[in-house]
Amino acid sequence: MARRCMELALEKGAESVRVSLGKSVLDSLTMLNGELDKVSRSADRSIFIYLFVDGRYGTFSTNRLEEKELEDFVAKAVTMVRMLGEDRFRSLPDPQRTAKDAAGGNELGLFDPRYTSRNADMRLKAAGDLSIYAKVKSGEAGKGYELISEECEYSESYEDNYLIDSQGFEGRHTESSFSCFSEMTIQDMEGGKFSGFWWESSSKADGPDICSCGQKALERAVRQIGPKRRRSGKYRMVVDAGVSSRLVAPLLSALNAAAIQQNMSFLEDSLGKRMFSEGLTIMDMARTPGKNGSRLFDTEGVATADAPVIEKGTVRKYFVNTYHSRKMGIPATVEDISRPCLMPYLKGDESTASCEGISLADILQRCGSGILVTGFNGGNCNPVSGDFSFGIEGFAFSRGKVTHPVREMLITGNMTSLWNSLTAAGTDALPSSRWQIPSLAFDDVSFSA
Amino acid sequence: MNDKTYYLNTFKVTECQLRKLVETALSRGGDYADLYFENTSFFNLLLKDSEVSSGGFHTDFGVGIRVLNGEKTGYAYSENTDMPDMLKAAEAASAIASGQSGRSGLHYARAGVMKLDLYPQQEDWRLSDASAFLPFLKTVEQEVLSRDSRIVKVMARLSDSVCEVLMYNSLGELTMDSRPMGSVTVTAVFRQGEATIDKSASRSFRIGAELISGALAKELAEEVTRGIDERFAAKRPKGGQMSVVMGAGASGILLHEAMGHAFEADFNRKGQSIFSDKMGTRVCPEGINVVDDGTLMNNRGAGNYDDEGVPGEKTYMVKDGILCSYLHDRISASRYGVPPTGNGRRENFRYNPIPRMRATYMESGNAEPEGIIASVKKGIYVDEFSNGQVKIGEGDFTFFVKNGFLIENGRLTAPVKDINIIGNGPEALADITAVGNDLKIDNGTWTCGKEQSVPVSCGMPTVLVNRLTVGGE
Repeated sequence: MARRCMELALEKGAESVRVSLGKSVLDSLTMLNGELDKVSRSADRSIFIYLFVDGRYGTFSTNRLEEKELEDFVAKAVTMVRMLGEDRFRSLPDPQRTAKDAAGGNELGLFDPRYTSRNADMRLKAAGDLSIYAKVKSGEAGKGYELISEECEYSESYEDNYLIDSQGFEGRHTESSFSCFSEMTIQDMEGGKFSGFWWESSSKADGPDICSCGQKALERAVRQIGPKRRRSGKYRMVVDAGVSSRLVAPLLSALNAAAIQQNMSFLEDSLGKRMFSEGLTIMDMARTPGKNGSRLFDTEGVATADAPVIEKGTVRKYFVNTYHSRKMGIPATVEDISRPCLMPYLKGDESTASCEGISLADILQRCGSGILVTGFNGGNCNPVSGDFSFGIEGFAFSRGKVTHPVREMLITGNMTSLWNSLTAAGTDALPSSRWQIPSLAFDDVSFSA
Repeated sequence: MNDKTYYLNTFKVTECQLRKLVETALSRGGDYADLYFENTSFFNLLLKDSEVSSGGFHTDFGVGIRVLNGEKTGYAYSENTDMPDMLKAAEAASAIASGQSGRSGLHYARAGVMKLDLYPQQEDWRLSDASAFLPFLKTVEQEVLSRDSRIVKVMARLSDSVCEVLMYNSLGELTMDSRPMGSVTVTAVFRQGEATIDKSASRSFRIGAELISGALAKELAEEVTRGIDERFAAKRPKGGQMSVVMGAGASGILLHEAMGHAFEADFNRKGQSIFSDKMGTRVCPEGINVVDDGTLMNNRGAGNYDDEGVPGEKTYMVKDGILCSYLHDRISASRYGVPPTGNGRRENFRYNPIPRMRATYMESGNAEPEGIIASVKKGIYVDEFSNGQVKIGEGDFTFFVKNGFLIENGRLTAPVKDINIIGNGPEALADITAVGNDLKIDNGTWTCGKEQSVPVSCGMPTVLVNRLTVGGE
């Protein structure tokens, strides 16, 4: 079908074409307070075409895949591209740069063949195992809280993406996913409500730890009971691995050539320059087999590579697709990061041996006192200046131990300054996460309350 | 828009087949079943670097089938309307009633019919090609550039869509709707010395291609270039607790996030909302009315029908300070024994509907806006928000304020930027001490992201909240 689409576009006069065919299936079961609440099944397929016609460019998609519908769709698309303005920088990528090792789809081992033997009864059992509602309700007397609701979901999915272009590129990526999620809402004796959630996901059927998911969510709700306001001021900040990627995202966005070209990046003119603490190293580990987020090619078909993005505080890479490479006159890389991994670091103790096995508890101990951030609630980072302001939730800690939850607090600052105050990065990134960002510690962060 | 034959032909189905699908969906039991057919055409054009050099269109077509067994949901969909595939989806949705005998006892009632077409289309977006809109985007760019020599980049985007839906349910209700949407967004980047700032403005309406006009280009250009001197001069203020005056218009997003979500009935029937035990009680001072309205003409959040075939209506959530209604879909309405309020909405046929807001606003009060500002000795005035977030159970919210001013001794003084406002929904509602007489609906491209993305709008008169936490230096 993808080839037919490409042929149709070339017949209509396109100079070059890229076609992406996607198919996915998702089964999910939601439990509410121990009872099955929702069952859903999704099966999607769609086709995207990227057309280069007479020096012009457009993107189109449809899920109407009957032959006649596709013919009309492609003809209309080619006609529309001809109406757009000329853009001589648009082209397919250099064929030398496209992946040559991705025709099969499961080279990275992200599809678990056990997926095909899963059935409705197995999924129902997994959803049932996820719920701990009855157990919690029967044992909540004297605990100081009441469980108001438990909502959990178990899901299994399969994705198959096939990409070809008119220069001969062919790539396929298949992936299975097994996920569990639990959210608990509790009420304390004063009537205050608190919620906590936990999730795990894996490409392997036995990857997510279903039996502990609800308990972890409950613990995260319970530990919020009794929050106190803290005074505004500068504190050491430790950020839990579950949410630390929120602070990395603005850096990676600012390294995208599209943002730089539009003067919308605070990391303009930073390539090759030391911008951050020497403790900050972020690798793109795109080709690690069996890991969430790994992929052999990007959306243009360009081969990914394991490579540093920021190395010891120095910017090593912008994300530059073919279009922006030609437009800005800089070398092309990949369109975006696949699997960012932030490397461990202990300020003043940088030996490899010291940087092994650094847990959140280790970081709290090293920091002594400050505020542990376990969640972000709203906020923003200005892409042009890097100035940020985020609502946070978390805990005060003293002598390396958590003392009490805090409420209604904000952090403010600038991304460049913040990452220059990095003092520790752990080795505890969540295995489920595509972004491998561990617990982090920063000095002198401004908190408002 | 009520041409039944047109819709049946669009989806290649007959009324007999609709009945058969509903029968199949309820073959294993359940109280209610419905079908949601959707055919949506999206179109977009982007002007960047002075050229409209990218654009495209996208088509989405399919049918979602839902079975309700009490409050439980079975859901499946098909991306084509061939009868064998739709029957498979109906059977998959029926699984929710598997092993159950008979009905749950919940009653799903008929919903009535629409009173007025809220978005008649003079010019169907689908009948115009790209060439018809290229000059408009160029005009927008010229209008913007002509207003400020510090501009280094302009981006202008036109997005439009027409969504045709046909809904049928086990109560025998057959409804149809054609929903246009046109949105224009312009972003300008300004440079002054070493400093760079950006500002965006947008308009979005349920309207046909008659939206496109020279007047709209001027309006957007005027807004995106307004207040730039103040922006360059703006600083982060010293943070802390202080009085906050919400400017009329976009401040309504705070109402949407901090209170509106907690009024959605799904969070309440599950006991998760901070308002779940507060129906009929006072939640804010006398005289304050908070509304979620699906009946504003051409509004981005308007709906002739919601996505369960329930006619749009104006719903008072808070009247004279008393919490008087949640926002209901059919499930929660049935659970609470009240009529649905037309809030059952979904992103597309791939999702089951859930309670969602439409246009959420506070009605005007009696105070003069200038008088409200004059009454504040020390505080902050905010009128341009971006993203916000709320914790439904706790009611804690955070909002990012792009722009505002300090208030000192009753006057707007230094411009401020990039700050957060943090507070607690019920506490903030109870702490409102003045409501202006200047309600303004903000017609920007607001999209709510609760599980699924749906278009909404919001509005607010000038409002004084006595004390909130402002994050600053």
